[in-house]
Amino acid sequence: MKEIATGFRVLKKGFFALVQDPGRFGYEHIGVTHGGPMDALAANWANRLLDNPASASVLEITAGGLELEARTNCMIALTGGDLNLTINGRPQVPWRSVWVCVGDKLKFGYPRLGFRAYLGVKGGFQVKPQLSSCATVPRDQLGGVHGNGEPLHEGDMLPVAMQHEEGIARQLPQRFMPDYSGALTIHIIPGYQQQKFSRSAWQQLLTQPFELDKRSDRMGARMQGEAITSPAIELLSEPLSYGAVQIPPDGQPIVMLNDRQTLGGYPKVGNILPLDGFALAQRQPGTRIYFKPIGLTTAQQQMRRYLRFFGL
Amino acid sequence: MRVNRPPYSFEIAGVNALLIRFGDQLNPNLPVYLQALRQHLLTQYGHIVAQAVPAYTTLLVDYDPRQCRMYDLQQLLERAITEVDDIAPQPESQRSIDIPVVYGGQHGPDLAYVAEQTGLSEEDVIQAHSSAEYLVYALGFAPGFSYLGTLPAELQLPRRATPRQQVPAGSVAIAGQQTAVYPQASPGGWHILGYSPIRWFDPDSEPMTPLQVGDRVRFVAIAENDIAAWKAAH
Repeated sequence: MKEIATGFRVLKKGFFALVQDPGRFGYEHIGVTHGGPMDALAANWANRLLDNPASASVLEITAGGLELEARTNCMIALTGGDLNLTINGRPQVPWRSVWVCVGDKLKFGYPRLGFRAYLGVKGGFQVKPQLSSCATVPRDQLGGVHGNGEPLHEGDMLPVAMQHEEGIARQLPQRFMPDYSGALTIHIIPGYQQQKFSRSAWQQLLTQPFELDKRSDRMGARMQGEAITSPAIELLSEPLSYGAVQIPPDGQPIVMLNDRQTLGGYPKVGNILPLDGFALAQRQPGTRIYFKPIGLTTAQQQMRRYLRFFGL
Repeated sequence: MRVNRPPYSFEIAGVNALLIRFGDQLNPNLPVYLQALRQHLLTQYGHIVAQAVPAYTTLLVDYDPRQCRMYDLQQLLERAITEVDDIAPQPESQRSIDIPVVYGGQHGPDLAYVAEQTGLSEEDVIQAHSSAEYLVYALGFAPGFSYLGTLPAELQLPRRATPRQQVPAGSVAIAGQQTAVYPQASPGGWHILGYSPIRWFDPDSEPMTPLQVGDRVRFVAIAENDIAAWKAAH
């Protein structure tokens, strides 16, 4: 196999780590899902700290355990969850950019705060796009270093363009840093079959606590709590948009996320505010979750502010 | 001339999507209509409509709320629907596609079970499955997975009680009113009748999938020996 000169060598694959970019858009009609970073806010910050375009690919490291060796000098940025990263044994705090040199060893431990770390690199990782994106989606067998949706393996080379000049190390001001601790309130925009749910079921959804279930993944976040009565209607499969909240017959809500199947046949009460979906991606199983309603216009205003801030 | 389609309603589907629902009953007129509406939206209103996904009786429309507010989007969609009504997409415009299948044997582990449950002979099951003409109602679940209906009534069975851990790629399967081919190996609870050598999703070819919503499909029985010949010809 041809040796790629510059980049990062994977020494240990850890739990799992996926190359991500904003995702595949425009292929849902043939069943190809969107992919992309679960916490897009943190991924955008990683690129912002490096003056990268928002389309640059980053590495999403879930739950830690990943070890990399730098095979080139480059600027990196670390955002999102604090997975106890050390560089050559020295602890690193997230939300800043730093220069690494050939031979440096990056070692992610286990989550101290948050659940997914984002590693950006100046210029992005040089991975060949498929359907105009290099986002790794295991269930679609698309994207990533191998072009087949597989996460990073030991021995993989993550290519990075050669960098000759050290960039400016930056640190995100404290006031911009999200707080990943404690219970999370998720705003929900009523939609889909919301009116088919009984008033009491809707009220129950908005008052009782849920717990984030450990079976949650990149397809969907599963909630556990007192069962919500789902309307007894037979639905033909219909397209699922980001953040759709399904209530299957067992009454336990599932929030459909980045790698969701494109079609689904369970009743849905609406969609969550994407900003809350990003925060949800940083919560560990067992976290207490509450739902709160939000109007479409207010939700769109909040998203507009976020998109404008990152020039998206 | 007006097309035969049910009345529609709108449902909010998050900050940047709206669902158009044409009733909730399986309707063989809708796949062609939804495909025409999808094409119309993308070609005539592509500056507003970023993506349109059809399935059975619904069309999900993605838009940028910074370009167009919900009220304006609904007006735009109402106009687009009227325009497509006037075009009156005709079933004659549908493509008709033959899908080769090797039925039974090692490729169709559930053929005997389906025969037993339906009280038909294996030959009758194959005959029933391959003589019907199907409509593509939706693509989804996995890249290239095409939901075809309607399965002849005598073949309709509930799904397997326990899904298989691994259904091989190319498996031709049935469940309820539907039939489909598994584009890639995956877990699945449908009854497998055979194998089709067609490649259902290829990101490097154009189009990437052999079928689209609204196409007509027939299954054609071929012999095991014909697989290689068929592959060579395509």
